Amino acid sequence: MANIALGRYVPYNSFIHRLDPRLKLFGLIVLMVGIFIKFVNVPMNFIVYGLIFILIAMMMMVSRIKFKTLFKQLKALWIMITFLLIINTIVPNSGAIAFSIGSWNIYWNAIFQTLYIVIRLVLMIALTMVLTSTTRPLDLTYAIEWYLLPFKVIRFPTHEIAMTISIALRFIPTLLDETYRIMKAQASRGVDFVSGKLSEKVRAIVSLIVPLFISAFQRSEELANAMEARGYNPSGKRTRYRVMKWRVPDSIALIFVVGLLSGIIVLAALKVDFVAIIGNLF
Amino acid sequence: MPIKFSDVFYVYSPKTPFQFEALRGVNIDIKDHSFTAIVGHTGSGKSTLIQHINALLLPTSGTIQVDDMTITAKEKVKHIKKFRKHAGLVFQFPEYQLFEESVEKDVAFGPRNFGDDEKTALDKAHKALREVGIDDDLFKRSPFELSGGQRRRVAIAGIIAMEPKVLVLDEPTAGLDPRGAQEMMDLFDKIHQGGTTVVLVTHDMNIVLRYASDVIVMKDGAIVKVTDPLSLFEGDYEDYNLEIPNLYHFAKLLKNGGYQFDMRNIRTIEDMAKIIKGGYHRG
Repeated sequence: MANIALGRYVPYNSFIHRLDPRLKLFGLIVLMVGIFIKFVNVPMNFIVYGLIFILIAMMMMVSRIKFKTLFKQLKALWIMITFLLIINTIVPNSGAIAFSIGSWNIYWNAIFQTLYIVIRLVLMIALTMVLTSTTRPLDLTYAIEWYLLPFKVIRFPTHEIAMTISIALRFIPTLLDETYRIMKAQASRGVDFVSGKLSEKVRAIVSLIVPLFISAFQRSEELANAMEARGYNPSGKRTRYRVMKWRVPDSIALIFVVGLLSGIIVLAALKVDFVAIIGNLF
Repeated sequence: MPIKFSDVFYVYSPKTPFQFEALRGVNIDIKDHSFTAIVGHTGSGKSTLIQHINALLLPTSGTIQVDDMTITAKEKVKHIKKFRKHAGLVFQFPEYQLFEESVEKDVAFGPRNFGDDEKTALDKAHKALREVGIDDDLFKRSPFELSGGQRRRVAIAGIIAMEPKVLVLDEPTAGLDPRGAQEMMDLFDKIHQGGTTVVLVTHDMNIVLRYASDVIVMKDGAIVKVTDPLSLFEGDYEDYNLEIPNLYHFAKLLKNGGYQFDMRNIRTIEDMAKIIKGGYHRG
């Protein structure tokens, strides 16, 4: 089960854990926008990425996420990095040539372009990890529902959608447990899920998926019956067990992220160049 | 050859906040041809323990010896299929593992995985299905058309068809009506008589008294007692929060009431009836 623990909610009680889920979701979007802004030149881009990385690293430290878990997630990115580099070198480019292989020119632009995408991806994954490992899935759903509230005016079924999402999230661990259970049961019958020929593997997967689907359908039917038996009415007004409360630290965090994004936008819009500024000082 | 656990530890999700030590230094011997019951509270490590017998879980530390094969914490296990073939494990609610289009194909799935050709596998399947009491005219039906009880029998036949030397059962009677449970247990008793070692996890002390030859009591991931059923219920079963079997309770009340007889021979209602009848004739 250890390999699925990546990005899973970890019940610590840090400053970030205690923040309002609405703020955290908003902060995620704001910082992601910040990650995608381009600056006046190459060194400036890297400086800002570095600053954002330091910020995210601090957030990870506060919320007690181990850097090891991040690296584990990044392992799968290697294929993508190579792929991106190949694509970027094939696409016609201009500017300074970094080096040539025979008559094949590889431009600095291509390398930087790839690096930007990779860095952005890493930063985004790290950010999302901070969000998902410090926020209960249910709280996230409440936050999404809260943001969708204005659409109620046009009869958009916000509550139903939020409920569907929260049920789906609620059943992920259950279905995972079920998967492990069935895998073990079939392994006891001699199924080898790891090695074996392709035809054996297909059979192994069929022996897993069919029981899994059957139990999932059964569960959903039981759940629907249980909800109806308790008089569930999607359009009914209801109160919540856990009420989201906006506190002072949330306001501070909100001002911080908005300020940060404005700062980044200003730097980009005014074409500020730290390297040149420092160069002028001396 | 028996099953031998030496100093086995098992930790779930090590080095995460979800870390949980399920087994803490387990040492047991399960004798050949025994009917061993493993009892203990929910979360005492019973299910974790039995999953080591066919190498579904590998110990965090310690060694397990099954037949002439050994599992250690450090070495990678070779021939894992041999373990799976040696010990057939029936999980709780096994009816959820069925997937094939017909009953006989589903039961033949195990033998096929262990290298039997289609005909041999189907022969074994038919034999196992008859053994668990499924009628021949159900063999070609879809397993999903059967009733819950029948499905469980089919699933158990799927393990029996593998002809394991050790049959490991995790709460096989959970959710069955009393008669279904009785029939199920009689089936396992018959398989045991045929020379198979049976390891049974259960909460039902009536079953323990009636069928088990040995009892292992677990608590918090450790073995707290290894004994036989009669000594357990004669002695300190209450210390482990175990229930007393109905029959044994009745016998105790009878004895406390002044009726003298040998408690060491009571396993079934028939035994009890004989004793009472004998006493009646004596006058």
